[in-house]
Amino acid sequence: MSKRILNHPQETETGPKYWRSLGQVADTPEFKTWVAREFPEGASEINSETSRRSFMKYMAASAALAGLSLSACRREEKNLVPFSRGVEWSVPGKPIFYATSRPHRRGAQPLVVATHDGRPTKVEGNPFHPACNGATDIHSQASLLDMYDPDRSRHFLNDGKVAEEKDFTAAIEALLKGASDGSGIAFLTEHFTSPTFRRLRDELAAKMPEALWAEYEPLGGEEARVANEAAFGKGLRPIPNLEKADAILALDCDFLGFDEGTLEGIRAFSKRRSPEQAMNRLYVVENRYTVTGGMADHRLRVQAGKVANVARQIAEIVGNKIGDETLKSVVAKFPQTPAFAAEQGKWIAEAAEDLILKKGAALVLVGYRQPAAVQALVHAINAALGALGSTVVGRKTSGKPGATIADLAKGISGGNVKTLFILGGNPAFNAPADLKFGKLISSGSVTVIRHGLYEDETTFSTEHDEHGVETARHFVKWHVPAAHYLEAWGDGRASDNSILSQQPMILPLFGGWSEIQLLNFILTGKKSDGLDLVQATFKQLARGIDTESWAKFLHDGFLAGSEAKREPLALNAAPVAELVSTYQAAEGMEVVFAPCAKVDDGRHANNGWMQELPDPITKQTWDNAALISPATAKKLGLEAKQGNGVFVFDNGTWLTVEVNGASLDIPAIIIPGHADDSVTIAVGYGRTFEGRVGGREGNYMSHGGWFAQHTGVGFNAYKLRTMAAHYIASGAKVRKIDRKAYPIAITQEHGALEGRGADVIREATAETHKHEPGFAKDQHWLHQHGAMDAEAEERDKKGYPVPKSSYSHPELTDKNHQWGMAIDLSACTGCSACMIACQSENNIPIVGKEQVIEGREMHWIRMDRYFVSDMNAREDKTVNISEPRMVMQPMPCQHCENAPCETVCPVNATVHSDDGLNVMAYNRCIGTRYCANNCPFKVRRFNFFDFNERAKDKVFRWNLINEKGMADTLKMSKNPNVTVRMRGVMEKCTFCVQRVQEAKIAAKVKAKDTDKVQVPTDSFQSACQQVCPTGAIVFGNLKDPNSAVTKTKDNPRDYRLFDYIGVNARVSYLARVMNPNPKMPDAPKDAIMGHSKGGHA
Amino acid sequence: MAAHAANTSEDGVVVLHCPPELEREALVNHNRSLNWITENVSVICEERTRRWWWIAFLIFSPIALLVPLLLGYQVSNGIGVWGENQPFGWAWDITNFVFWIGIGHAGTLISAILFLTRQKWRTSINRASEAMTLFAVMCAGLYPGFHVGRVWKAWYLFPIPNWNGLWQNYRSPLLWDVFAVSTYFTVSVLFWYVGLIPDLAMLRDRAKSKIKQWGYGIAAVGWRGGNRHWQHYEMAYLILAGLSTPLVLSVHSIVSFDFATSIVPGWHTTIFPPYFVAGAVFGGFAMVLTLMLPARLLYPQIDDMMTRNHVDKMAKIILLTGSIVGYAYLMELFIAMVYSGHFYEYNAFYNRATGWYAWHYAAMMFCNVVTPQIFWFKAMRRNYIVVFIACQFVNAGMWYERFVIIGTTLAQDFLPSSWGHYTPSWVEVFTFIGTFGFFITAFLIFMRFLPMICAFEVKAVTPQADPHRDPKAGHDHAQPKEAALSAH
Repeated sequence: MSKRILNHPQETETGPKYWRSLGQVADTPEFKTWVAREFPEGASEINSETSRRSFMKYMAASAALAGLSLSACRREEKNLVPFSRGVEWSVPGKPIFYATSRPHRRGAQPLVVATHDGRPTKVEGNPFHPACNGATDIHSQASLLDMYDPDRSRHFLNDGKVAEEKDFTAAIEALLKGASDGSGIAFLTEHFTSPTFRRLRDELAAKMPEALWAEYEPLGGEEARVANEAAFGKGLRPIPNLEKADAILALDCDFLGFDEGTLEGIRAFSKRRSPEQAMNRLYVVENRYTVTGGMADHRLRVQAGKVANVARQIAEIVGNKIGDETLKSVVAKFPQTPAFAAEQGKWIAEAAEDLILKKGAALVLVGYRQPAAVQALVHAINAALGALGSTVVGRKTSGKPGATIADLAKGISGGNVKTLFILGGNPAFNAPADLKFGKLISSGSVTVIRHGLYEDETTFSTEHDEHGVETARHFVKWHVPAAHYLEAWGDGRASDNSILSQQPMILPLFGGWSEIQLLNFILTGKKSDGLDLVQATFKQLARGIDTESWAKFLHDGFLAGSEAKREPLALNAAPVAELVSTYQAAEGMEVVFAPCAKVDDGRHANNGWMQELPDPITKQTWDNAALISPATAKKLGLEAKQGNGVFVFDNGTWLTVEVNGASLDIPAIIIPGHADDSVTIAVGYGRTFEGRVGGREGNYMSHGGWFAQHTGVGFNAYKLRTMAAHYIASGAKVRKIDRKAYPIAITQEHGALEGRGADVIREATAETHKHEPGFAKDQHWLHQHGAMDAEAEERDKKGYPVPKSSYSHPELTDKNHQWGMAIDLSACTGCSACMIACQSENNIPIVGKEQVIEGREMHWIRMDRYFVSDMNAREDKTVNISEPRMVMQPMPCQHCENAPCETVCPVNATVHSDDGLNVMAYNRCIGTRYCANNCPFKVRRFNFFDFNERAKDKVFRWNLINEKGMADTLKMSKNPNVTVRMRGVMEKCTFCVQRVQEAKIAAKVKAKDTDKVQVPTDSFQSACQQVCPTGAIVFGNLKDPNSAVTKTKDNPRDYRLFDYIGVNARVSYLARVMNPNPKMPDAPKDAIMGHSKGGHA
Repeated sequence: MAAHAANTSEDGVVVLHCPPELEREALVNHNRSLNWITENVSVICEERTRRWWWIAFLIFSPIALLVPLLLGYQVSNGIGVWGENQPFGWAWDITNFVFWIGIGHAGTLISAILFLTRQKWRTSINRASEAMTLFAVMCAGLYPGFHVGRVWKAWYLFPIPNWNGLWQNYRSPLLWDVFAVSTYFTVSVLFWYVGLIPDLAMLRDRAKSKIKQWGYGIAAVGWRGGNRHWQHYEMAYLILAGLSTPLVLSVHSIVSFDFATSIVPGWHTTIFPPYFVAGAVFGGFAMVLTLMLPARLLYPQIDDMMTRNHVDKMAKIILLTGSIVGYAYLMELFIAMVYSGHFYEYNAFYNRATGWYAWHYAAMMFCNVVTPQIFWFKAMRRNYIVVFIACQFVNAGMWYERFVIIGTTLAQDFLPSSWGHYTPSWVEVFTFIGTFGFFITAFLIFMRFLPMICAFEVKAVTPQADPHRDPKAGHDHAQPKEAALSAH
């Protein structure tokens, strides 16, 4: 085993010399050896050349061997023990990285997890896996906090009473004795992609042929499956090949969001988004703004129910113009739809023309929420556009679909199901309301064994009297605590179907079982630790197993070459024509059940990071709301006032939404860019379980400690959802109700640029960029758009004094390292994953809804979202608040070289480092907040309370008297390399100084006596950079001519914010370039994206 | 020349007829004797505590207790109990700091600058206004002290040698503030105390109880009123007046640097130092009058020493400084909106006047610019009720001014994404009310135990103090009644 070899840095030539002994002063060889040893003579004699990597292999291999061959001899004991003795490979402060994967309904996410002293502390994407390129999504980042959630289920429960594991195993054995063929037994699972799960399920199904296997995902792709089967036959699904696509039309498809998109797809799209290459063009048709809509070159807002009409018109035009008989015949079967108004009609026609023009490189995408008929129609359009095999490729699907939850409900109510195993999911909360699933499982006619992470709505239902006081609780028969994926062995399939490993980082914190453990127990009656099960599957899939390949599988995190091959796709016209004929038009006001970008289907509801993350579009935290357009708001009697050039909307006003025979009272948010006569409600909120973040215990508004008021966390849209109207429900009745306005916690109150666009977000069309690649710095351009930088230049020319700092720059003495960042606004979608990665890496606390309302959220990187109206786009030059464009701008600390925060700090708590970081000395900070006032970017964050030490609803108690402290498990989740800040100090983005220092130390250690201390080019990343799926954020060493950031900053699009105040920001932005089609009715008229003074909604 | 009428006499000699010199109004009415002054100044400290005093004390001292209570609450919870947020790093805290420190300007200005310029009318009001200065600076000092996130580390602000190897940042105006305010407070205390010594000795000499003899005796540091004492006293007082005078100007200039040296549009302006000083004198005089007018009502005997004439003169200063402030407001608008050509500056002021806090701006303009204009009229200046009401407008207006400068600027600066709102929390509101409680309580105690009027200086400006007061040989003051009586 390799020892840690300490390379002490060379003493400096000048300055004081510190010495330990006379030997050091004399610098004898004996002394040098002595220093090089960590321990005195004899203690570190074992020395080999084994690297950490090969050590990992051996370890994994020996673990595998132990599992395979020796388990029969003696059962191994596994305990979680503290490090009472130092463990050889564990160096305090140094993380160990393990590859694993996060199960997800749309394919597992390949990950690498950093662990410190056996505690997972940070989740990253697996850089070796082609499906993610090292990027991650919001939910993978946040899943870490889920694991440490102190509200997780900790016990086996029998009828609600705490029971022992052995009682449970005995009970299950007894239960299964009489049902060897599985009759009366049903299983309800989530959509698990795990091969081991599927193997066990198949084995169990073979053993119990009569058992019912149902699968339910509240946001599953049932409609998509039907359409795919019809269009391409069983077992095949189309995958968009975005890299090839020159023109993309997305029909209600948020393919750049994490619900619908894949990291692979997002990366492929953004690769084509840089104007230095041939840019793609994106048309988006949707009912509400999504991040995809924000990236659109042209966006059409229509009701989700009318997307079908758009699809039909596109199909008609494409079919006729291309002369594709198949498409023509399919369209003929599609029920006639009403025509759009002139401007919208022109939009659709021109978009279709553009797709036809780019035949072979055109792509139409359709969201999984659209009816199967619409999806099938889109497949036919793609076929006509020559997309199959080019921009759309085929992949084999794995596994066969089970029964639906409706079949299961029928089975229970029909008395055919006596025993029900629920593995994962939360059906009592999120099953279609017409099934009344919660009632069914608590009716007593069925024995339910429930396996879940939380004791939630499925574990018990409650009864209330008319005052809302709980009168009774009905528990399922057995509740089994689930192990989190970071605690259990498993496997999974990525979005490209490759097999991923899933290894535990830590033993289950609360003694939970994984799904495969439970299935295996039902199958064999033995409790396995999961490893042998996964290995058995691996043996099958990898065609044999040896220690080498298994170790490589664990090490790499995936089995190379196991991804699904691209399959040829051919459209089956007849089934498509049949399917499209079933389309039923939707009428009237509609309600769209949208996935939440944060809590997903509600599973992350108890995750504080997720609740506090501002929604990428609405910037709402801690709640959902009914999103409506300004025009609909007006129709409903909600007010929109205009004052000081700002539209102040009547947000938080209560609406009653009636649809599908149920009604929901929910506050409204009026959001520009939303379709009229359409209401969007995110699902996953309004949970009633006892979670202190997202459940019934969720939110208290204490109003400064005086009047506590319980507000809950959001509103349950599942109540309105039925089997038939699963995603889009039409014929809704919406009306305003008089009730005190609901407090809504929005982090960005102001969404207009107030004529500052040319200073803040510089934009141009691809056309302009072609002629003027340096437009972002061009004086003429800046002047024309009223940028202050141009003003300053002008003044300089005229000889007026230009504001310049008396200090030319700080002493940036480090000749090897100067850190900088460049952010490509053309690539950034605004998905906000960077905010969560930063929160996880830098131990940023959550503050709670009340404090967000107060404006005290702590995120170090902010995602600014602005709505922009191109004044010149309209004849009458007025601002149309209904149809703005949307621009995103990530805003970390700009690390100004002449930092305004530094000059004003009276105690020198914020200073500049030699390598160009604006650093904070938390110990020194007394919290005058002057730095925050003087920051032009307002990126500094102040700890107004002890957010780390106090629960979010208890910040107002007297700290000296009340007990403090954070939950033990949450303490474990912290990154030990980053200080946990106390109240009263200022904090802000550090450019991940801990990573910078680690890299510098490593370089110094490696350099030994030489002066080659420069960190290798791009050898590490900041957390925000690492997570970014589009690669919009580039961080690195400006002193390294080969670094990505140096090259990016050489791009002529590069500009800095507020150069005219002379702050010399180290963060720069690449101007946003759009690729609009000049023929479109909403194309910018003057080929320059409009940012002119005063012209903003 | 216009005042002089030239006539040619009968013998052809041009005689210049000077009109009679305009009569100066007496500084002490009714030609009170020196003894009368001693008696009537001392009696306030010697008589039995009056009932109204107890009532006032029992009302205001509990209000003063709000300060330690709420600051304790704030320190034990965090700054979050106040309404501040992003982007409002400062709000009521610094507003109130600047408000109180501004009030603290009048006392030293009256004592020092008017002393150096030989304005004899200052004598009867300087003691009280200096005391007011001290109490106002105490209230002010509370805010920068307690507005920091970790008040227990506030000593980092002082250049105390330490082993952390850390030192203050001398580029920060906040640090200049620390030195400016602490120097000002120290010098003001010394100035006030030195000026008190002869009167403390007077009280000591008159004291009947042992405790009072001891107390005043120690405080009077052995003053015997000897010639040498007076000589040293006059020199010390003159030096302190000389020291204080630049401080009066520097403190508020430096306070204004907190804003002027920052880069935030709306703060970054060179007009601030003179404008802040004028505003401070303006607000300070209003507060002096706010305290003095009720005091005259409660102690009618001091009416002869603090006359209508004094009120008139102070109203004139309010008019002058108020007009300077008004000019500064308009000039500020001109610079930002017309002269600068700076879009962000323009917006900052446009938002200030029309934005979310527009009514603060309107209140400031009305109170500070319009109200003092009534002092163009002598009748108004001499009407106690009118003066008192106008002073309340000025007090409020000066508070609004500080909030407008701090609040509206922070509300809307560079990036619209970070624009925000602010509402004070109940803690802030009651802490501010508490500082008024402290201020008034402290003033009540001062009135009760220390001579509110500088007796020996008032005596010095009476005609009796003039050794050449023979009406024939001396100045053409009206015949003193007392002297006339004795002549009989």
